[in-house]
Amino acid sequence: MTPRSPTRRILLVLLLAAACGWLAAAPGSPLPDDLRGFVAGILTGMGIGGLVLLLVRTVPGLRNWAEQAGCDNSTSTLRRRYLREFLPAMGGYVVALGASIWLLHVVETPVLRVLLALLPVPPVALAVRAIVRYIRDSDELQRRIELEAVSAATALVSLLYFAGGLLQMAEVIDIPAGPAMFWVFPMICLVYAATKAFVSRRYR
Amino acid sequence: MDSRIRELRERFGWSQGELAERLEVSRQTVNAIETGKYDPSLPLAFRLARLFGEPIESIFIDQP
Repeated sequence: MTPRSPTRRILLVLLLAAACGWLAAAPGSPLPDDLRGFVAGILTGMGIGGLVLLLVRTVPGLRNWAEQAGCDNSTSTLRRRYLREFLPAMGGYVVALGASIWLLHVVETPVLRVLLALLPVPPVALAVRAIVRYIRDSDELQRRIELEAVSAATALVSLLYFAGGLLQMAEVIDIPAGPAMFWVFPMICLVYAATKAFVSRRYR
Repeated sequence: MDSRIRELRERFGWSQGELAERLEVSRQTVNAIETGKYDPSLPLAFRLARLFGEPIESIFIDQP
């Protein structure tokens, strides 16, 4: 295993997830109680992601599928640039979100609370910029696939929120406004993953 | 639209990946053009014609 091999990186992710698990759950953890939930969330995400990557890396059928799916859709230069821009932005988001949650418990000044609440926005903006640059510099077929996939995902999530709004007004459901607003972008990303797979199949 | 892309590519001894690199497009795009699932834009069609040294009309088969 070379120092930069993908398997080594995946094992590093799992090790970090285990460290997060200790920080979140161990009795001797130095973390304040209000941050443990956040860290547990990071652990869950990293752990699931690391395990999926390890499976894809080691199970032959999954490995072939992933290599084809990854290598088929873009040039290696574009993929490397995208990862170079996207991954640090998402790392910055995790750090900013944790800092925001922690500091909002101790800061009372309204102006400072606004700035702290919006602290995760710049790294997410950088991640969105990386996505836009990736799509803009993809080839013509990939841009068509991205357009169809993003349009379908946006329409589906909009429909879901519209239905949810009607149910909320009819007092059938009661979803807090904060999480409802927060989850718009992640839901579009999740649905986009499915619509892109569906649209791509038409061109295989 | 049908084309002779696969025939020309094999004559030159290129894989789909190698052809994609020369055209600066993805391998999926090359595969989609070869299987007739995607019709390239005019600039890409001209790049193909220049690369293979044949006119566009001899590479792509128009089906009325």
